[in-house]
Amino acid sequence: MRMPTEPVEPAVPRNFLRPCLLLLLREQPAHGYELLERLPPLGFGRDDPGGLYRALRALEREGLVHSSWQPSPEGPDRRIYELTRAGMEVLHGSAKSLAAGREMLEVFLSRYGEFVSLAGAGDTARQRSPAPS
Amino acid sequence: MGELDALRVREEVLQAMYWMRSEGLAETPDADLLARFLAVPAATLSPYLERFAGEGYLEAAEAGYRLTDRGQEAGKRTFAEEFADLTRPTHGECDDDCWCHESPEEAARCLEGKAEHAHAH
Repeated sequence: MRMPTEPVEPAVPRNFLRPCLLLLLREQPAHGYELLERLPPLGFGRDDPGGLYRALRALEREGLVHSSWQPSPEGPDRRIYELTRAGMEVLHGSAKSLAAGREMLEVFLSRYGEFVSLAGAGDTARQRSPAPS
Repeated sequence: MGELDALRVREEVLQAMYWMRSEGLAETPDADLLARFLAVPAATLSPYLERFAGEGYLEAAEAGYRLTDRGQEAGKRTFAEEFADLTRPTHGECDDDCWCHESPEEAARCLEGKAEHAHAH
């Protein structure tokens, strides 16, 4: 059985933006705009820089991210963000939690797949804007 | 609006506007854009923006506001001050092979360097 495909809102954990930002900063320190550019592959759109700004500030208040001014040859200095040791630990905890959740999701999807094919459902997933964390 | 509220909102607005400008996102944001950025109602924010313009931190530009030199300096400075105590690195945040473990003097230099964001492992 194959159901009609419509745009699907991906079901991701609440505050998924937080571990995504920690992951991006684990890969390399970055400016805000650069983070905005690197978020789409993780399912976030680029149309809400305010959500990103608020999330970064919250992460910084919690000591998970550190930022400092970096001189810019053209225009004002820019804020560059990097992961702290505490942020690295929280990221690791999030990754373990997501891995545990993935196992449950795979069981669920496998069992549901006995009734209905979901082939292609992921192709129609809409990108989300960064939500307030 | 109370003076303390105005001070708090001013810092939030100036910091956000400096960040938006430095990231190339918006040079002259209007009240709606700033309100979305800060997740507050635009109607609440508008009187504050007018006040900050009157105080010389902002100037009306196009359909929105632009940071004046004074506003730009204040936005940048308060941003750094807000997080200075929270994010100041402490010894032990470095990797195990960091040269700062070699002696107390090296550790002190490492902390200074990290505080200036010149330290990369």
